[in-house]
Amino acid sequence: MTTESTQSEPQAAAAHRAATEPATAPSATAPSAIAPAGPGRRRFPLIDVLVRFQSLLGLVVVLIGGLVFSPRRNGTVLFLTVDNLANIVRAVSETGIIAVGMTFVIIAGGIDLSVGAVLGLSGVTVATLMVGHGWGTVAAIVTVLIAGLLFGLLQGVVSTVMRIQAFIVTLAGLQVANGLARMVSGDKFININYGHGHGLAPPSFAVLGDRLFGNVIPVSAVVFVLVGAVALVVLNGTRFGQHVFAVGGNERAARLSGINVRRVKIITFGLCGLAAALSGVLDAGQLSFANPNSGTGYELAAIASVVIGGTSLFGGEGTVVGTVAGALLLGTLNNILQLNNVNADLQLIVTGLIIVAAAVLQNVAARRRAS
Amino acid sequence: MFKSLNRRRSVLAGIALAGLVLPTSACGGTTTQSAAAPAVVGGLAKNCGSGKTFTIGFAQANNAEPYRQRVNADLMAEAKKYPQFKVTIADGQGDDNKQISDVENFLTQQVDLLMISPFEAQPLTPVVTQVYKKGIPVIELDRQTVGDQYTAFVGGDNEAIGKQAGEYVAKTVLPDGGDVAILQGLTSTTPAIQRTQGFQEGVKANSKIHVVAVQPADWLPDKAQTVFDAMLRAHPSIKAVYANNDLMANGAYLALKGQNKLGQVAIIGTDGLPDPAGGDQAVLDGKFAATFVYPTGAADALALAKKILVDCATSVELNTVVPTTLVDKETAAKLIAAASS
Repeated sequence: MTTESTQSEPQAAAAHRAATEPATAPSATAPSAIAPAGPGRRRFPLIDVLVRFQSLLGLVVVLIGGLVFSPRRNGTVLFLTVDNLANIVRAVSETGIIAVGMTFVIIAGGIDLSVGAVLGLSGVTVATLMVGHGWGTVAAIVTVLIAGLLFGLLQGVVSTVMRIQAFIVTLAGLQVANGLARMVSGDKFININYGHGHGLAPPSFAVLGDRLFGNVIPVSAVVFVLVGAVALVVLNGTRFGQHVFAVGGNERAARLSGINVRRVKIITFGLCGLAAALSGVLDAGQLSFANPNSGTGYELAAIASVVIGGTSLFGGEGTVVGTVAGALLLGTLNNILQLNNVNADLQLIVTGLIIVAAAVLQNVAARRRAS
Repeated sequence: MFKSLNRRRSVLAGIALAGLVLPTSACGGTTTQSAAAPAVVGGLAKNCGSGKTFTIGFAQANNAEPYRQRVNADLMAEAKKYPQFKVTIADGQGDDNKQISDVENFLTQQVDLLMISPFEAQPLTPVVTQVYKKGIPVIELDRQTVGDQYTAFVGGDNEAIGKQAGEYVAKTVLPDGGDVAILQGLTSTTPAIQRTQGFQEGVKANSKIHVVAVQPADWLPDKAQTVFDAMLRAHPSIKAVYANNDLMANGAYLALKGQNKLGQVAIIGTDGLPDPAGGDQAVLDGKFAATFVYPTGAADALALAKKILVDCATSVELNTVVPTTLVDKETAAKLIAAASS
């Protein structure tokens, strides 16, 4: 995984810089942007490294903080218990998966506000298919995933073909998905009970709420890690991934160089919709319950993870690793604060400050590149 | 927007508890059953006894609602009476996943007792069961999980509250009878259904009372204002209005004010929070004729916690139904004074 990223990211970044610099910073000379850091221009290469992996470093800092500030009992560092660490990953798995999908959209210069509502829609749909219509686990899940993909693609088509900003299209998508979710569920929540027969879901669906490896690692955490790994390969190891960076960096240049900009953008929305649907399926499986209003506000948590992960909202830069680390950072931070009984209000404020700090680091990096 | 969504979700949660939660109907009281936890031999708690200190974690469904803020305040105030208890509150923020994490964190912290108002019944059941099976006593407050994997439940009885309000209107507010209207909460929620049913039952005590209008206003004051404004125009004879919560009662007050009919219609609310913006103050100010307290149960819950943790009880009441209190002008002043002290 790491070799993948180190090999291909410079390519993509270089391609993107070559595409961006002339348009955005006409005063800068192209060679200086592409050339490796000269001693005169870049006095602090350390800062660049720090910014590139800001969320990973942030995560390390938070983990160390967790060790230091963890409550202890009978000599056990409570923060470090396997159960607790597994709980952290489980707690962020749903917003984390969405954040990974969101990373593609944002790198391509878009945004997707519909994801939380798509999560709710997917949850009630998968529950209804199984509980109300007697579908099997695999058929229900695959159908919902395809539906999520199509919902995302449709938003992409509307946005690119009709030339409406992604913000507006997906804001509308949020309403539509929430309305559909209420319609599908009859504006009621659905309790998922397992067994064979009418009104019961197949017991295999309950696996999503299980824990593996000696009842320790939650299935949702495993899915989160897998999604992150696949996304890493797609973004940094494929032509499509390079095109995503190019489109987000400079759409015009990307088009001139023969990239089908529209297609790339539409696919990013599709991937994001797919991620949201997967989260919805996991949500229903973990809770044995589906509520049409589940996922409310998750779009903001996902965007926060992406931003903390160092992905620019202007598009053209970002990493999957950063996003995953961003999500884990938020989850770990909340965990430590809660283990120390710091109240929830302060948790929100600290989260806000971290988002601002991440954005400031981003800006510093952008200016350094421009100068 | 977020507020109203939260409200709606929490209200949906009400449905869940409804069927399960309130086992007894009309009269308040307690049912005693042996509730020995399977993992524990002898006492309900592994770690109990006098002279020790205990941590109690309270997983609240959502801090952003006036009623739940009152529960938290009551709990912290009551906890001062038990110097051996250290109570911490986690805010579930109206999100099942968040509240599950909160409970998991309490488990990591190895709390001695868990209190919880589950946001929604079914999603919180597995994690609460997990806590209970580890031998940690669980006291459920106001809302219940599915099944019987908990040590005790403390809560109010919506139907009894509605019935008392109905009887109050029948006997005290309109002894000579008259037309009455009802402003219902979100009709898909159990508290709205039960309070309304109870009220309609209660007013039967006076055959000269006629319920001429029943309309949902979804727990919301602005909606209640619109709805009651229309009701007043359709039925100018209305002499009293019963609202399923105080927020809607306040909406009814605004509608009366708009039509210059203040004082001509008696308003009866539900909730009776002693905060400055709560129903008790409205009663004291003469805006409402009366309101009925939906009890927080904090004192009862902590008394149970003491039995379990300090007295090493081997069994406690499984279900404690906390009776409501009528709030009229006299009691309002007392309740407000008691809450602010």
